[in-house]
Amino acid sequence: MAAHPQPTSAMQVVLGAIQLPATFRVGFGPILAAIVLVLIVLATATAYLYVPHDPMDMNALERLKGPSETFWLGTDPYGRDLFSRVMIGGQVSLLIGIGAAIVSVFIGLMIGLVSGFFRTADAIIMRIMDALMAIPSILLAIALVALNGPSIWSVIFAITIPEIPRVVRLVRSVVLSAREEPYVEAAIALGSSMSKILWQHLMPNTLAPIIVQGTYICASAILTEAILSFLGAGVSTEIPTWGNIMAEGRMFFQIKPELIFWPGLMLSLCILSINLLGDTARDLLDPRLKKREA
Amino acid sequence: MLFRNRDFSDRPTALRITGLSVATAGSRTNTAILSSIDVTIRDGETVCLVGESGSGKSVTSLAVMGLLPKGSLEVTGGRIELEGQDLLALDAGAMREMRARRISMIFQEPMTALNPVMTVGAQIEEVLDSHTRLPARDKKQRVIDIMEQVHLPDVERIYGSYPHQLSGGQRQRIMIAMALILEPKLLIADEPTTALDVTTQNQVLKLISELQERHGTAVLFITHDMGVVAEIADTVYVMRHGEIVEHAPVETLLRAPVETYTRELLTAVPSLIPRAARENREDAPALEVKNLTKIYDTRGMFRKGRQTRAAEKVNFAIRRGRTLGIVGESGSGKSTVARCIMRLIDPTDGEIRVGDADIAKLGRAALQPHRKQIQIVFQDPFRSLNPRWTIGDSLIEGLLNFGQSRQEAMKQAAELIELVGLPRDALKRYPHQFSGGQRQRIAIARAIAMRPDILVADEAVSALDVSVQAQVLKLLDDLQERLGIAILFITHDLRVAAQICDEVVVMQHGHIVEHDTAHNVLSRPSHEYTRALIDAAPGRSWDFANFRELATN
Repeated sequence: MAAHPQPTSAMQVVLGAIQLPATFRVGFGPILAAIVLVLIVLATATAYLYVPHDPMDMNALERLKGPSETFWLGTDPYGRDLFSRVMIGGQVSLLIGIGAAIVSVFIGLMIGLVSGFFRTADAIIMRIMDALMAIPSILLAIALVALNGPSIWSVIFAITIPEIPRVVRLVRSVVLSAREEPYVEAAIALGSSMSKILWQHLMPNTLAPIIVQGTYICASAILTEAILSFLGAGVSTEIPTWGNIMAEGRMFFQIKPELIFWPGLMLSLCILSINLLGDTARDLLDPRLKKREA
Repeated sequence: MLFRNRDFSDRPTALRITGLSVATAGSRTNTAILSSIDVTIRDGETVCLVGESGSGKSVTSLAVMGLLPKGSLEVTGGRIELEGQDLLALDAGAMREMRARRISMIFQEPMTALNPVMTVGAQIEEVLDSHTRLPARDKKQRVIDIMEQVHLPDVERIYGSYPHQLSGGQRQRIMIAMALILEPKLLIADEPTTALDVTTQNQVLKLISELQERHGTAVLFITHDMGVVAEIADTVYVMRHGEIVEHAPVETLLRAPVETYTRELLTAVPSLIPRAARENREDAPALEVKNLTKIYDTRGMFRKGRQTRAAEKVNFAIRRGRTLGIVGESGSGKSTVARCIMRLIDPTDGEIRVGDADIAKLGRAALQPHRKQIQIVFQDPFRSLNPRWTIGDSLIEGLLNFGQSRQEAMKQAAELIELVGLPRDALKRYPHQFSGGQRQRIAIARAIAMRPDILVADEAVSALDVSVQAQVLKLLDDLQERLGIAILFITHDLRVAAQICDEVVVMQHGHIVEHDTAHNVLSRPSHEYTRALIDAAPGRSWDFANFRELATN
């Protein structure tokens, strides 16, 4: 029939998976969260265009200055401009958050699909995942950064590894229940190949839950990055990140609390809005999980 | 006595529903779900509400219980009186008290209605605890007493059992015990036997009428099954689209229905008289199953493995253009056989010959070319189509797997969709836009798109309303006529088997106990299990479609 020109593309599968309820109302909270998040992302992404100082530029004469016209939020113990450092630092923090979310969701999806569908692979994979989950994630991340050196990519890697088992378990559980559906058995009877069944029948079921899981991973990765930096095990200290700035500010916390306040505020706002949006996405994508209204 | 012919006109009224209307709430357009219905039930009377899905029978029962889902359904008019007291005027607390003491309810699926982590004895006791003050010894005595009344065996043991340790019939007895322990005036039974096997269903129906007579309870019995109505009803109310179409004493209604809809409903009930025998063809069988065996090993790490023989030494053959039925209760192994033949599970032993090839032992790749020859239609029309795919995409899935171009396949799909009686534009729509019967037609179209030699129908009409069931059976018959496919029809319903099968195989505990022509199995059963099945079929002595007793030959 001519009405069906294009074959089922990946995009159609993705769009088909996200079935929004006919009527959905989003409250004030999620909209505010979205606005805050967009502002933070835009402000940090374009930071090099407008920040008044080079965030690495030290100036011994201007140490620990208060807010002024040249230094909007004051300076740090090395005389670097705090405002510039916070805005530029956000780039690395957000990059790590989004990077870790995408990588762990993608790898977790692959492993989870295989594990949910093939029984023999499942036994082996899940034992490895159990082992990974048995190690405290911060400890594992510190060890991985220590092994690979303190670059952004090694931090993303270090945060991703401990998150993967959680995604795998989520995807696996969805696949395990979806593979019992008669339409999957019908596809087997129709002679569909394993890859077709995996990608076109099973994978779309996992999209909604992993999008939600992805937002949580993003928030927790930003937080983990801050913790790693704070412990001195994160991105190398000359690159500003919210965690780094706070780690350096901790010595002078009593004289100059802004050093921790401003990066901390950005971090909290960012994580709060991501989590709020994650909750909203969950309610929209899977109304069954929605908290029951009293 | 064929029907209950009891007169209740001098008994006091237990429940009187007058002008009850229920509509959807919350949205701007309030759709009427029930429009002004009247029902009267007297003490000791059984009133059956019958109707197809969506007719509003369950909503009626929920309204009486005061359990309409808040925010989505609300009563918009009318009265519900229990012994003269208006239930709609009661507040939530008073209604809660009313629900336990004077109205109670049993549901279709006892497993979900029972708490899985409490012993059933404790659950029955809980009902007493929340509404009476009795010393512990009396309480236990009362629970044991009601458990004996519902004829549970070995009451002391069952008292301490958990729901999963009991059979479906036993669980439903527990539910009935819980419902009746406070001696309510009114018992509402919402499809209480639909999830049970026929033999168990028969026992539960007998139990309900026995207890009703002993306690003088009024029963509002909701069912879609005319056979059950014939067994248990005093008075029948036929519902459709939220209205009462007709009500009459059971015999009057079954013998001389007034309204067209009632006649249609009764005519659609499949008869237990087997179809006329078709001429026997002597060509080679399309499907031949030899000594098919499926054994499940439950192996523990430390204990010795236990074996469950789901199917053992099953033999049968089907020729082209013929239909073979496999009949049995749950756990008889009939679905195991179907799934083995489809190679959705691997048989432990035996041969499955499709044409000339034995497919029982083939690996995934070697099996692929044979998949085309044998297709399946599942029970649940709501789950057998991928909800994210258009109907067109679902129909051509198999064709694409066997190397057809998309355009060609779509052309064929358009022909198929018309063949099963749906419009062409259905191809571009999604499954949720279709009713259960339509979806089952689509599933059938998807199966026959492959031009299979054999079609396996695994309880393919069991989830459908009787009128739709009749249409789908007719469709299968027409397709068989036209395409000459062999059909393996798996069902628990003897009536359906009688309508479509040439031969019937009766299975019990994984074994074939009887295999003969449909006519012989139904009219001259040789095995006692077959006889038990036929005897348990509700309304077996009534010919619904012709409004009279079944002619005995």
